[in-house]
Amino acid sequence: MILYNLLAKGVILLVFLMSGPFFLKYFAVKNTDNRLLEKREQVLEIIRIQGLENFFLEEDYSSGFGSYNILKEEYILLERIAEPFLVDTIYNEERIIENESVTYRVCSYVFSSKGEYFLLEIGRSLETIKDIEKIIFRILYITFFIFLLLTFFLDTAFGKWLVRPFKQIVENKLLHIKEPQQFQYSPIETSTDEFRLLDVSLSDMMKRIQKAFNQEREFISHASHELKTPLSILQSKVEGFFNQDNLNQDQMEKLIDMQSTVQKMKKMVNSLLLISKVSNAQFLKSDSVVLQNLLLELYEEWKPMADEKNIILLLEKNDHFEFTTNESLCTMMVQNALVNSLKYTPEGGQIKMSGVNSTMGYQITIADNGPGILEDIMDQIKEGTVFLKNASKDKSGFGLQLIYKIGLFLNIKVQIDTKPTGTTVFFNFNKII
Amino acid sequence: MRVLLVEDERTLASEIRTYLKLEGFVCDHSATFASASENIAVNPYDFILLDLGLPDGEGLDLLYEAKKSQKNVIIIILTARSEISDRVKGLEKGADDYLAKPFSLLELKARMQAIIRRKSGWVKEEISIGNFTLDLGNKTVSFSENHIYLTKKEFTVLHFLLIHKNRVINRFQIAEHLWGDTNEDDYQSNFIDVHIKNIRKKLGEYAAVDWLETIRGIGYKIQA
Repeated sequence: MILYNLLAKGVILLVFLMSGPFFLKYFAVKNTDNRLLEKREQVLEIIRIQGLENFFLEEDYSSGFGSYNILKEEYILLERIAEPFLVDTIYNEERIIENESVTYRVCSYVFSSKGEYFLLEIGRSLETIKDIEKIIFRILYITFFIFLLLTFFLDTAFGKWLVRPFKQIVENKLLHIKEPQQFQYSPIETSTDEFRLLDVSLSDMMKRIQKAFNQEREFISHASHELKTPLSILQSKVEGFFNQDNLNQDQMEKLIDMQSTVQKMKKMVNSLLLISKVSNAQFLKSDSVVLQNLLLELYEEWKPMADEKNIILLLEKNDHFEFTTNESLCTMMVQNALVNSLKYTPEGGQIKMSGVNSTMGYQITIADNGPGILEDIMDQIKEGTVFLKNASKDKSGFGLQLIYKIGLFLNIKVQIDTKPTGTTVFFNFNKII
Repeated sequence: MRVLLVEDERTLASEIRTYLKLEGFVCDHSATFASASENIAVNPYDFILLDLGLPDGEGLDLLYEAKKSQKNVIIIILTARSEISDRVKGLEKGADDYLAKPFSLLELKARMQAIIRRKSGWVKEEISIGNFTLDLGNKTVSFSENHIYLTKKEFTVLHFLLIHKNRVINRFQIAEHLWGDTNEDDYQSNFIDVHIKNIRKKLGEYAAVDWLETIRGIGYKIQA
């Protein structure tokens, strides 16, 4: 907008500046012509009253009369002509005076006196006009640039002042709102109707979003209740059977099968609900977590599993970094990545963990040399598809899905680089300033 | 110990009651807000296991009532609700713990024991098995004067098995106690075997650990 204003004003001024010299010249010449005509009238008036004696000695008209003023800016020429011809014109003429070419505006006029015809020429130098032209031109150029510069600063300041409410709306009501409940309904102070309308429209829209959000939350809560209660009954019944002393091995194995199925259902429901709750921001983010400790605990916890699988698990670097977040979700996110690596890295493989401070914050890396994640699975996860199934391994993809969803919720940037030779998961924690 | 179970789902209540009775608790059951309110007014309880969604009232109000009339009662909220605000409200109103459905009955018992220990101020509570001693306050294991290093998870597995000694505990129950129930597959339950192997190895350096039995294809049992 400011650039457009500047450009438009610049073009207008440029047109004015380009056409300026022509106008200036036109008016200057016109003014000179008028002056010349006035002078001509004055000379003729003198001749009418006093005769030609002031110009010619003893009525000797053969020599003519010519006079320049001191600076050669004006001259007057009077001479008799033999043949009468009608001349009444003004024109430009170059004259060489003292080896210098000077342009004059010359007014020529033929008149008669005492039966004789005389040519009167009154000339005025145009050099002064040229000089004035140059000066005015320079002034115009300087004014032009000063004007543009001032306009730019004034427009910028005014533009900023004018769109201040808009900026407030964008910052307070759009950019800083990560979750619907953070929205502030207090109106932005502005006298501009358009901004007021935008503010009201945004508030109305957020009310609708919040309503849908609350409905979804209620639905999750109810669905959770409806699904979890029967699962509780099933689990309790199976556990009740399992507690009986007189069970033989076969009966116990059958109960284990049942329990395995109940567990699968339970974990699926819980994972789905967790994904939904994370997406709906139903967790607090107020725990102060030392990521160095988190990594160390995970390393110690999973090292025996890695040893059992003959996988080398290394904690290469572990810098200190403290981050305010949701501890259990954060742990779950990093642990999921580590457990995935442990799951798919073949025997004899290697997993490297590290936590490194950087200027931007902190980065946790978990890199393995396993077979990598299939491209279509990665695409599904990135698109947020919930039901994932890797048929060849009969595993669902909730773990990876959760990594992404939790990262998004906790403002931790998750990046997964996967190749057939290995997978690296990066968790980037931004420094809070 | 006397327990009041407030649960409107009768089948589930029946299972929980049976289990608690087997564990030596005296258990009353209320399926409605009114009945629970009456029971709380008449009987003194050590534990109230409270479901939040009751047909004739809000479980959280009952919590307030219970804390007012029985100051030392231990209240554990049992609920299928998933909203964090319920959990926060419950704990703010004086609940001692919060167990989300579906939960394992073994987990319920473990939580009840942990709260009793915490409330009684038994920082130095110890459990012995064979010649080994588990210090529950410091989460350490020792043999005579020798301190044995167990990882946090190994200690938790051993403690969980000890709480439920003389009973077969399957891998799913141990896994749920260790990692909760949000992981998507059974892979982690395989890691239980690794923990048990390490416990046997570490303790086995000092004395035989034949009290820790493997029940093939099922799980583990501490025979004491």
